[in-house]
Amino acid sequence: MRRVVVVGGSIAATTAVESLRLEGFDGTITMLSDEDVTPYTRVPLSKGLLAGRETEADVLLPPMSDGVDLRLRARAVGIDEARQVVRTVAGDVPYDGLVIATGSSARRLTAAGTHPQVLRDLPDARTLESLLPQASSVLVIGGGFLGMEIASTCRELGKDVTVIDREPPLERLLGPLVAARMRRAAEAAGVRLRVVDESFAVVGTDRAEGVRLSSGETLTADLVVSAIGDQPNVEWLAHTRLASPAGVHVDSRCRAARNIVAAGDVAVQRDGRLRRRNPSWTNAVEQARAAASALLRGDGATPYRPSRYYWTEQFGIDLKMVGVATADDPTSVEGSLESTPALMEWSADGDVHRVVALNHPARPAQLKRRVTRRIPTAQERTPA
Amino acid sequence: MKITADIARCEGHGLCEDVAPSVYELDDDAVVTLLHDVLPPELEPAAEAGARVCPVAALRIVP
Repeated sequence: MRRVVVVGGSIAATTAVESLRLEGFDGTITMLSDEDVTPYTRVPLSKGLLAGRETEADVLLPPMSDGVDLRLRARAVGIDEARQVVRTVAGDVPYDGLVIATGSSARRLTAAGTHPQVLRDLPDARTLESLLPQASSVLVIGGGFLGMEIASTCRELGKDVTVIDREPPLERLLGPLVAARMRRAAEAAGVRLRVVDESFAVVGTDRAEGVRLSSGETLTADLVVSAIGDQPNVEWLAHTRLASPAGVHVDSRCRAARNIVAAGDVAVQRDGRLRRRNPSWTNAVEQARAAASALLRGDGATPYRPSRYYWTEQFGIDLKMVGVATADDPTSVEGSLESTPALMEWSADGDVHRVVALNHPARPAQLKRRVTRRIPTAQERTPA
Repeated sequence: MKITADIARCEGHGLCEDVAPSVYELDDDAVVTLLHDVLPPELEPAAEAGARVCPVAALRIVP
């Protein structure tokens, strides 16, 4: 294998490139990014960057080394697997090995025109930043990590903020006890949280101006933002067998086909009994390392094992966790959930399967070590 | 080559340590520390790789 092409421009693509080099690959690496800036971290986009505490320069990752041919604005539009070339808007690029790391895009509620703002990439962040000064009220659709982080930042900026979701915000991600604690923090900061029937409609003429609920009530705001999840960027693979609308299906070593691997938000992998994407920074890094290794070593590579480390920062609470949320209460609590710091553990049959730290200085490596069983098989059948 | 760590930005997620344990370590408060005052040349690729996975871009590479 002499020529590896990495399709993507974010952290999975970047990590794949680094991992190939660390594994000793000395052939050529071409990285095809459809963005117009060098790789950056999306993590601060909903926090420091949106709040104006950070600049675009602050979110750029260290420049790629000279040994990588990084091509910007080089959107991939297809693959010819027989000829082993990636087709791009700027011409064909031949490969011996291919890394698919095209990530995902914000899921949208409505057709263009009146759709709410989204926050996924740097251009989205620039748009939101430019709209925020004129907005005194913000309606956030979606109470996941991203939606709640946006709500937190907007509240910090003094906006009147409402979050709506079909379920109590964060419930599915954090389980009832921790989610309720985070919601109390949001409400104490002055954010209105509303659980709504899913049959709401976005209203507005040239832009989204609010939502009309099934009850007939209309919620309006100067700025409407939706954060309702993401969908994998697989349109460019539609003519192949590599992808379904759910993403690029990969095996336990992140392989999609011979000499083709995938990593990050675009990749669908078996996780316990489920096949799913795992869109998070940590997963992108870990999967990209496994994918690079498998591209070079095949069956000799170590299978991927997710660490299941996640974090969020909102309303003055820094939350770090390892493992999957379950509906039951923790089996042990150190400190206080209300006044924090708090360190909570969930265990069954002597094995810890989940740890959550709130405003606690425990290192992620320590949290990961506490988790002795990665998949809570019994609890997985009754997820939160 | 030199690595600089912006301690104020570090949130202690430890990806740098995962990728390059020979270069980075989190201290007891989960803040990144650099294990070498002068980076040995053979650790430069690992140091770069560790710097590029920081989710808050707290690590900078000075050529």
